Amino acid sequence: MKPLLPSLALAFAMAATAPALAQQSGGTLNMVVQPEPPGLVVGIWQNAPTQMVAGDIFESLLRYDTDLQPMPSLAHDWSISEDGLTYTFHLHEGVKWHDGEDFTAHDVVYSVDVFLRETHPRLRASLVHVDSIEAPDDHTVVFTLNQPFGPFIGVFEVGTMPILPRHIYEGTDYANNPMNATPIGTGPFRFNAWRQGSYIHLVRNEDYYLEGRPFVDEVYYHVIPDAASRAVAFETGVVDVLPGGSVEYFDIERIMALPNTCITDAGWEYFGPLSWLWLNNHEGPMADVNARRAVMHALDREFMRDALWAGRGEVATSPLSSSTRFFDDDLPSIAYDPDLAREYLEASDYDGQTLNLLPLPYGETWQRAAEVTRQNLMDVGFNVNLVATDVAGWNQRVSDWDFDLAFTFLYQYGDPALGVARTYVESNIAQGSPWNNVAGYRNPELDAMWEASAVSPSDAERQEIYSELQRRLIEDVPNAWLHELGFPTIYRCNIHDLVTTGIGLNDGTRDAWIEQ
Amino acid sequence: MSRSPLALAWRRFAQNRGAVVGLAILLVVVLVAVLGPTLMPQSPWRMVGRPFLPPLTDAALPLGTDAVGRDVLTGLVHGARVSLLVGLVSTLVALLIGVPVGALAGYFGGWVDDALMRFTEFFQTIPSFALAIVLLAIFQPSLFWIILTIAIVSWPPVARLVRGEVLSLRTREYIEAAILSGQTSLQIIIRQVLPNALPPIIVLASLMVATAILLESSLSFLGLGDPNVMSWGYMIGAARTVLRTAWWLSFIPGIAILLTVLALNLIGEGLNDALNPRLQRREE
Amino acid sequence: MARFILARLVKAVFILLAILVLNFSLIHAAPGDPASVMAGEAGATDEQFLEDLRRRFGLDQPFHVQLWIYIKGAVQLDLGYSYRRGMPVADLIWDRLPATLLLTATAFVISIVFGVIAGVAAAARQGRWSDSIISALALLFYATPLFWVALMAALLFSVVLGWLPGFGYETVGANYTGFARALDIGRHLVLPATTLGLFFTAIYVRMTRASMLEVSRLDFVKTARAKGLSPGVIQRRHILRNALLPVITLAGLQAGQIVGGAVLTETVFAWPGIGRLMFEAISQRDYNVLLGVFFVSAAMVLLFNLITDIVYVIVDPRIRITE
Repeated sequence: MKPLLPSLALAFAMAATAPALAQQSGGTLNMVVQPEPPGLVVGIWQNAPTQMVAGDIFESLLRYDTDLQPMPSLAHDWSISEDGLTYTFHLHEGVKWHDGEDFTAHDVVYSVDVFLRETHPRLRASLVHVDSIEAPDDHTVVFTLNQPFGPFIGVFEVGTMPILPRHIYEGTDYANNPMNATPIGTGPFRFNAWRQGSYIHLVRNEDYYLEGRPFVDEVYYHVIPDAASRAVAFETGVVDVLPGGSVEYFDIERIMALPNTCITDAGWEYFGPLSWLWLNNHEGPMADVNARRAVMHALDREFMRDALWAGRGEVATSPLSSSTRFFDDDLPSIAYDPDLAREYLEASDYDGQTLNLLPLPYGETWQRAAEVTRQNLMDVGFNVNLVATDVAGWNQRVSDWDFDLAFTFLYQYGDPALGVARTYVESNIAQGSPWNNVAGYRNPELDAMWEASAVSPSDAERQEIYSELQRRLIEDVPNAWLHELGFPTIYRCNIHDLVTTGIGLNDGTRDAWIEQ
Repeated sequence: MSRSPLALAWRRFAQNRGAVVGLAILLVVVLVAVLGPTLMPQSPWRMVGRPFLPPLTDAALPLGTDAVGRDVLTGLVHGARVSLLVGLVSTLVALLIGVPVGALAGYFGGWVDDALMRFTEFFQTIPSFALAIVLLAIFQPSLFWIILTIAIVSWPPVARLVRGEVLSLRTREYIEAAILSGQTSLQIIIRQVLPNALPPIIVLASLMVATAILLESSLSFLGLGDPNVMSWGYMIGAARTVLRTAWWLSFIPGIAILLTVLALNLIGEGLNDALNPRLQRREE
Repeated sequence: MARFILARLVKAVFILLAILVLNFSLIHAAPGDPASVMAGEAGATDEQFLEDLRRRFGLDQPFHVQLWIYIKGAVQLDLGYSYRRGMPVADLIWDRLPATLLLTATAFVISIVFGVIAGVAAAARQGRWSDSIISALALLFYATPLFWVALMAALLFSVVLGWLPGFGYETVGANYTGFARALDIGRHLVLPATTLGLFFTAIYVRMTRASMLEVSRLDFVKTARAKGLSPGVIQRRHILRNALLPVITLAGLQAGQIVGGAVLTETVFAWPGIGRLMFEAISQRDYNVLLGVFFVSAAMVLLFNLITDIVYVIVDPRIRITE
C-alpha cells in the first residue's frame, strides 16, 4: 500500500466525520476556466482548459478514485484476463448522445481505434501495446494487447480516452467539422452557448443515464484573463469555484479568510504534477554530475513552497510524485544543504560560466520561483542569467535544448510507465518537443529497467524495479526535482461533492450539488 | 549689462517655480542612481527578511520586504539607476534615429523629404504600444532590446519636430550664406541648422525620457521586462499580484515613477519657457 | 476635395499593405509557432501531432508562399482563420470590436469634454488657485502609470467600497435584456473608461490651456479687445475656436488609437476587447489574429488622420489642401 498524501488523509477523515446530507437539485455552478480553451472537443484539443470544460460534456469508460483505483463511468463493469492481455468492458445501456442518437460500443471502437489514434499523441503512445479493439456486441468492448502492459488500466480517463460520437465524425475532417462548435457528448451537461472572451454555458442533460444526476441545472465557465480579476470575481460572488491555478498563490490566504470558503488539494492524484529544473546533460556545465548535485542541494525548496506556493504541495523527494504508483518514501536525501552544494561545486569542472535559466512563463509565482532559484544558485557560487521568454519562446528553447537550466512541470498520469519514464529514457531524446527527455540523460542500464518494469506482470516486481530506479536517478540527478505541486480548488463550502475523483474537476461536475 | 544666452535661459528657467522643484527632485533621483548602488552594494535580489514585511516596522528594512523577502529600499535605489538608464538611453537612441531623419527631410526637401516622411508616417500608423509588445515577443526582453524597442516606437515625433524646425531655418540668411561659402550639406546641417533647432529638441527630449520610463514600466507590468535587472516597472509588475495584501509594494515604486516623471515634465515646461524663442521675443 | 480624399485613400492602401508585410515578417521571426504553443498546452506531443497541426494551419509552406496567400486574402478583405480559436479572424474581431469601441469611445468623449472644459477654465483663470489646482492635477495624472491608476481604482471602488464592478463587460449569467442590460454594461464601463480617459483628459487640459494662452496673446485677439468686445465673446469666438486646432490634431491621434490603445486597460479590467485579443494572440503566435488586429487598427489610424485633415479644413478655412 502506498502512503497517502497527508492532505488527502485529512480529507478522508473529514469526509468520514461530516454529517450525511441529502443531495439537493437545482442551482447554477459558476466556475472559472483559464485560459480560454481553443475548442471543447477533447481529442482534437488536449490542453488543460479544454479538458476541464469537456469533462462535463464528454465521458470515458472509467474514472479513478483518489487512490487511482478504477471506478465505473460509461463502462459499468470490466475485467482483465489472467495473462493480462485481454481487457473487456461492459457498457451502460440506454446511454444517449446529446443529439438523441444511441451510444454504443462502436462509438468506443471508432473513437479509440480511428479518431484518437490519429489525434491524440499521449494515447497513441499507449496504443502501441494494443493489438485490436473490437465490439462483439453493442455494449461490450474488448481490447487485446500484444504483451502485458500493467499501466494500461490507467488510460481510460476522459482526458486520455474521451469517447466521441462516431455518427458525427466518421469520414470527416475532424479539425474542421462544423459540429466542433456545438460539441455532442454523452456527459451530464449539454453545450449551450460560448460567448468568446466571456463565458461557456452548459445546461443539465435531462436524459442523462444516471437517475437524478447531475444535480445542478447549469454550469458557467467564466473566462477572466487576469488573476487578480479572478480573485475579485470570487469575492464579489460572480464565481463560486476557482479551479487550481486560477488565482495567484499569494492571494490564497486572503481569499481563504472569506466566509463560506473551502479549499481542497484533492483531485490531482491522477496527474501528480511534479515540477523540476531541466538540467542540460547534453553539453555545458550541467553535463557534469557534481555540478548537477550542487544545483540540487543549493535550492531552498522549503522556502519556495512556503513563500511562493502558499505552503501548498510538497517538496519533492523523488522523481516520482508521492501520489504516483510505486513511489518510494525511503530514498537518499536531496534536501537543501548549501555547504554540501559548495562541496559538490568545488569537486566539479564548473569555472564560473554564466548559466542560462529559463523560467516557466506561466505567471508571477513561477517568475518569483526563478528569481529565488537564481539567488540560491548564486549563493553557492554559480553565475546565473534569467532568460525572459513567453510560452512560445520557452517551447522553442526547451525543444532545441537551448538552456542550461529550465523550469517545467509534468503530469505523471498515475503510473511511472505513463508519465515518468518518458523523461529519462534515451529513446525519448529528440529535438522538437519540450516534453520528452529534454535534458538528454543517457543511462542504458536504467533504460532496460524502465522497459522491464512496464511489462512486468506483478506489482511487487514493478515496485522493486521502480524503487531501484528512483535511487539511481537521485544519485545521477539528471534533473533537479522541485515540488509536488498543489493545485488547490477553492470553492464555496455549500457546494458539495465537487471533487470526488483523482481526476478532480476534469472529471466533470456530475456529482456536485449546491446546498441552498 | 550683457549676459550670455545661456545665463538668460537659466534665469528664465529659475523663475519657474515648478521647474526648480522638478530639477531638485530629479537631482535627488540622479544622485540616488549614481551613488545608491555604491552605498547599498547588496544585491536587490537577495532575500534578507521575512516576506511581506510592512514598511516602518524594522529599522534595518525601513521600506519593508517584498513577496520573497527582498529589501524594497535596496530595490528602489538600484531601480533608480535602471529606470533612468532606460529613459535616457532610449531617448538618446530615438534622437539618433529621429534627428537625422527629420534633418535630412527638412533640409533636402523634395523626394528625400517625401520618402522619409512616408517612412515616419508608416511608423506612426502602427499602434506603438502594440508594436512594442510584438518587438519584445520576437527579441525576448533584455535591457538592450527594451531600450531599442522604446526608441523604435518613439522616434517619429522627433523626426517631425526636427523637420519642421529645419524647414523654417532653411530659409534664413545665414544658411544661405553658408551654402554660398561652399560648405557641404552635412557641415551646414551639423554646424548651422541643428544647433539652432536644439531648444525644442531639448524640450521634447526631456518629455521623452519621462514617457520612456512610463513605457518601460507598462511593459514590465505585462511581464515584458528584463528579469535580470531591478527596475521600478519590474517592482510594480511583480507587486501587482499582491496588490490586495501588500499595497505598499506597488505604491512605493509607483510614487518613485510618479515623482521622476513629474520632475521631468516640470523641467520640460521650464525648459520650454526658457528656450522657446517665441516667449523669448515676447519678453524682450 | 474629392481628389484629395481619393489620393489619400490610395496612399493609405499602400501603407496598409506595407504594414501587413512588416508585421507578417516580424511575427514569423518570433521564436516558436502556433503549433508548438498548442502542443505545449496539451502537455504532451509527438512529431506526428506537430506535423498535423502545421499542415492544418498551412505552416508547412515556405515563408513567401504563406505571405502571398495572406496578402492575397487581405486584399479581398479575407483575414484568414484563427489557428487557436478555429474561427474566421474577421468574425473574432467583429465579436470583440463593439466592446473596445464602447470603451475607447466613452473614454474619448470623457477626456475631450472634461479636458477641454477644464483647460479653458484653467486658462481663463490663469495664475489663480483654481488654475493651479487644475494644472497640478493634469500634470499628476499625466505622470501616473495608467495601469497603476487602474489597479488602484479597481481596489478602491470595487473591492473596498463595492460601488462598481471591478472587471468584465456585463454580469454573466444575469441574462439582462434591453434597458437593464444597457445599465449593467454601463456600470461595468465606468471604471475602465474613466481610467483610460484620465490620461487623455490630462493631455487635453494641458494642451487646451497652453493653446488658449498662446492664442490669447496673438494680435487679432488684441484687436478684438481693443474693439471693446466682451471677454466672454472673445474667449468663445476668437480664442477657443483657434485654440482648438491642436486639440483636433490630438483628438485625431487619440481616435486613431481607439482600437489598439486599450491593451493595458482591457487586461486589468478583463474587458473582452480587441486589445486583449491582440495580446493573447502574440503569446499564442496566432499570426492571423494578430495581423488582423493590426490591419483594423492601422486602418482606423489612417481613417482618422483623413478625418482630422478634413475637420481642420472646415474649422480653419485658411488652411488649403496640399497634396
